[in-house]
Amino acid sequence: MIKFLRRIINNFKEYFLVVFLSIISISLFSTNEKPAIKKIRTFAFGNYAFFNKILNYPLSYLKNDYSLKELEEENAKLMLEINKLRKQGLENENLRSMLNFKDTSKFQLLSADVVSKLVNKTQGNFIINRGSYDGVLIGMPVINDKGLIGIVVDTSKNFSVVKTLYNNNLNIAVTIERLNVDGVLSWNGNELIIKNIPSTYEVKVGDRVITSDFSTILPPQIPVGIISKREPVPIGLLHNLSVKPFVDINSVDNLFVIKIVPSKQINNLEMNLLKK
Amino acid sequence: MLWNFIKPILLFIPLASVQLVVMPLLSIDAITPNLIVILICFFTLKYGQIYGTLLGFVLGFLYDSISGGLLGAFMFSFTISGFIAGYFFNENKIEINTATNEFLIIVFISATINSFLYNLLSSSYNELNIFYFILEGGILPGLYTAFFALPVILFNTRKELR
Repeated sequence: MIKFLRRIINNFKEYFLVVFLSIISISLFSTNEKPAIKKIRTFAFGNYAFFNKILNYPLSYLKNDYSLKELEEENAKLMLEINKLRKQGLENENLRSMLNFKDTSKFQLLSADVVSKLVNKTQGNFIINRGSYDGVLIGMPVINDKGLIGIVVDTSKNFSVVKTLYNNNLNIAVTIERLNVDGVLSWNGNELIIKNIPSTYEVKVGDRVITSDFSTILPPQIPVGIISKREPVPIGLLHNLSVKPFVDINSVDNLFVIKIVPSKQINNLEMNLLKK
Repeated sequence: MLWNFIKPILLFIPLASVQLVVMPLLSIDAITPNLIVILICFFTLKYGQIYGTLLGFVLGFLYDSISGGLLGAFMFSFTISGFIAGYFFNENKIEINTATNEFLIIVFISATINSFLYNLLSSSYNELNIFYFILEGGILPGLYTAFFALPVILFNTRKELR
């Protein structure tokens, strides 16, 4: 019997090995949020990002100009201000004072450069050259002068990982500005979509999408994109809306972290969407 | 034997930086060539299937850790890629496999499977159809990666001529 088993193991050792290693990989995959695994990851990307920074330096030197960076920061601040004003123009003054909107113009912006990018169809993320030493915290939103890019999901001392909109584990609460309709925006591997919006709302192609007042992760009124397509759901009176982001996310090099401290009373459900 | 593992890991360090910093600049609609798969295929064709499977596992772990992505996703897909590339290992045909067009085909097959498995595993969105995953998530990145394997052939052919 032992001889027989030994012969089988010898004959199929490649298969046993690949199955064994695959099981380990998939087990690790399902334990990504465990503190020990997070620690390993933070240590690894925090140290290795230094190499990426060195390689990135000549590339960014060719692309960037310091004065351009200052202008981009100014643009980003103005973008936030404009969106606040646009929103206010669309709403009744009394209603606005009753709702007591949060003020986005006072947020401090921290400029950062993208050190490395993981570009693929499902798991878009960046590593940026700002970390906990610069005051970056998990959950802080990341923008540029055109609009929202993503959220900080991990920080080491000098670097942070940003989960971009092109990551299908990131779901954010958004509003269609003209109609004040709320929905959840997610990346399906091909496009950004807002699912299950009732057909009774007359959503038009070209309508602006901004972050929602209901979001406890992101400040309201950050521009996200415009509606590019409206598709009926086969069953029921609902629509799926495709959104074209304002930011060309894959070509972003400079960005800003909005230094807001995420509320301690963050809705558990919304945080669960981040933890995936 | 240990040196056989250290060599690709030493090569992995600069290659992973190029993959994370330079390759995104060459991406077409989020499709990027995967240089790590080329590295795994090359060494698997030199040293065999078990070696390739283990190398895929180790490099996958390292790449997942440094890229800030989900730990385990590339580990799994690189392990399978190494295993698949190992099927083409032949002790008597090492030069042919690594210095001719056959290398491109092997890289294409491995990279396609790698990209397909990675997208399938890391995607929490279950409404996309399997053909989308095969074409945009598998074949196109596979072709792009195979194109980037051309310099390996040219370099190896020149070495053979000397």
